[in-house]
Amino acid sequence: MKQNNWLGFLFVIVMICLLIYLAFDGGNAIGIPGIKDTRLGIDIKGGIYTTLYPDIPEGQKPSEADLNSARRIIETRLESKGIFDKNVTVEKENGRIIVEIPFAPGEEDFNPQKTVDEIGKTALLTFQEVDEEKVDENGRYLPTGKIIIEGKDVKNAGVGTNPDTGEVVVTLELNKEGAEKFAEATERLLQKKIAIFMDDVLIVAPTVNNVITDGNAIITGQRTAKEAGELADTIRAGALPFRMVAKEINLISPILGEGALKVTIRAGIVALILVALFMIVYYRLAGLIADIALTGLIVITLLILSAMGITLTLPGIAGIILSIGMGVDANVVIFERIKEEIRNGKTVGAAVDDGFRRAFTAILDSNVTTVLTAAILYWLGSGPIRGFAITLGMGVALSFLTGVTATRIMLKSITGAKFTRSPKTFGI
Amino acid sequence: MIDLMSKRKWFFVLPIIIILAGIIGLIINGLNYDIQFQGGTIIQIEMNDSNFDVNKIGVILTEMLNKKVSSQKIQAYNPQNEDEKINILMLKVPGSDTLSDAEVNSIIDMLSKDYNAKRIYQMQNVQPFIADEIKQKGIKAILVASVLIILYIWWRFSTISGLPAALTALIALIHDAFIMLSAYTIFQIPLNESFIAAVLTILGYSLNNTIIIYDRIRENSNKMRKVPVDELVNKSIIQTLRRTINTSVTTIIAIFIVYIFAALNNIQSVKEFAFPLIIGLIAGTYSSLFIAPTLWMMWKQKESKERIVAKQVKAKAR
Repeated sequence: MKQNNWLGFLFVIVMICLLIYLAFDGGNAIGIPGIKDTRLGIDIKGGIYTTLYPDIPEGQKPSEADLNSARRIIETRLESKGIFDKNVTVEKENGRIIVEIPFAPGEEDFNPQKTVDEIGKTALLTFQEVDEEKVDENGRYLPTGKIIIEGKDVKNAGVGTNPDTGEVVVTLELNKEGAEKFAEATERLLQKKIAIFMDDVLIVAPTVNNVITDGNAIITGQRTAKEAGELADTIRAGALPFRMVAKEINLISPILGEGALKVTIRAGIVALILVALFMIVYYRLAGLIADIALTGLIVITLLILSAMGITLTLPGIAGIILSIGMGVDANVVIFERIKEEIRNGKTVGAAVDDGFRRAFTAILDSNVTTVLTAAILYWLGSGPIRGFAITLGMGVALSFLTGVTATRIMLKSITGAKFTRSPKTFGI
Repeated sequence: MIDLMSKRKWFFVLPIIIILAGIIGLIINGLNYDIQFQGGTIIQIEMNDSNFDVNKIGVILTEMLNKKVSSQKIQAYNPQNEDEKINILMLKVPGSDTLSDAEVNSIIDMLSKDYNAKRIYQMQNVQPFIADEIKQKGIKAILVASVLIILYIWWRFSTISGLPAALTALIALIHDAFIMLSAYTIFQIPLNESFIAAVLTILGYSLNNTIIIYDRIRENSNKMRKVPVDELVNKSIIQTLRRTINTSVTTIIAIFIVYIFAALNNIQSVKEFAFPLIIGLIAGTYSSLFIAPTLWMMWKQKESKERIVAKQVKAKAR
């Protein structure tokens, strides 16, 4: 091809430079989080990872609704302690809840066990009378101690719609004892407020509009179905008969994580440089092209991690470093093939075409199996192992884009140039 | 061209020796299960200086809790000031003796009062039944991965006897897993979830190599129909040899650097992950080059011999 030129090569270079710019904060202005905004796992940031089980007789299983309610209490409790950057997940098949709490910078809680104990306590839900004078700095009512009903009086809470207005409401079903107490209170407090507290945190303070005698009340004023669902979960949580117990606790100090992060990043940079040098020494110009593609692979991996908010763990970084080594594999396979074709007497241009075509099935078959194992690791692994599976699988899958496609565009575009017509391009 | 296949018996000597050493290690030392796999408690506490009597603390705690507490002194570097070392007291209570919340609290109270301990550096508290669950999941992961891999190879290599290709590749993978396990028992590396990740990674990697060689056999067997099977395999291995070596070199460079950095800075978790990966990479390269294709070839030779015998029998019967 006479008109073959540098366009393809330049295109790839520009794309990779753009990605690097995006990764290093350039994208922040348009809402693409860069490397600095990557979510770091507990093993890097430091924090607590704990698995909580309901404290119920052996053989019994908590219902999903119960677990969701328990999750709501845990979230409410952590938020009341000012911990917002948490991660509480329900594993309904195992009947447990996983809580991840990163350390806030500068925080040095010596006894995290106490924190875990506190979040596992049975929630105390109370409906209290309100003293309009007693508010905190945010204007929220404070507990008065004048308890109308408690969590144990609540039979169930759910989400429904108000038949008159069609708006989303939280439905409340009380047991017999609760219904009696509630009837008395609603009569006395008509047009006043009743505040609902979880432990000592105000959840909501609806106004009493009717006297409720049958124990079936509704709470209006929820904006969305999701909000109503959360409120229902919280109220139900107060009726939970069990507390949550930590059967597994992992705690990592911020110092340990920071040290490990520094070390692995340095290792990654050194590994990248050495692998890059190896490729250049062995494959010359083609090696350089592979290195450019490899840089692209790593930057894209990092960008996807940060942009999708995937948590990066230490094994995750190990996965990235491993994919530095394995990422050039596609190129090694292709270049060796091209060399072979050249030795068989083909011109460089023809050898490049054939090399890519013939190497493709081998690369496909071998990468599919690695992606398979990564998928299984993700499926069956927990926390940090999942992080490793994501980065490894992504590295291999992306190497099709960089190691095969990007290298191909670059190589094809420069094999038109005079100086690349010599087999020396490939280190022969 | 070097005739590798004539020396095929020697290929199995080294792996057998290593695996035997592993079995002997297993009998003598047993498997070193990390608390992730057997339950237990590990607490690392940052101390203000290195002047604490680690043995005495162990004795006091063993008495206080009436459980066997082993104690150890370790040092790590401080990332904020790399000339400074952090002094750490490590306490271990293995197995079914997992500490209760109250016991952990009492240890921490005692150490902060009597020994002016600074803060918890790392803590792991795992109940045995969770450990069992993690172990089972790990084994399941390895089994599921193996089955899927066999099916994939069987399908993709159906033109060159897919089933033998899949089974010999699997034997190569089992070889890799055993070599890695031997490394764990010989060097007494604690077995934990990272082990599962390391094994699966190596299975994927080793299979990569094997597939590249099988791919070449597939291609060559179309081109050279008259060539005997040992020559075909030999040729295919040698044609792909450079690629195999170069990929192994780049991958080992990457993971070896991680190992060195982790070892120099005493980052235990990363070190314990990188070392078996290095062993596995070497084992995986070896098995792809020498074990899987050799076995496949021997299978094919046996098959064709049987076919000849069957033909002769048929001819005689007539």
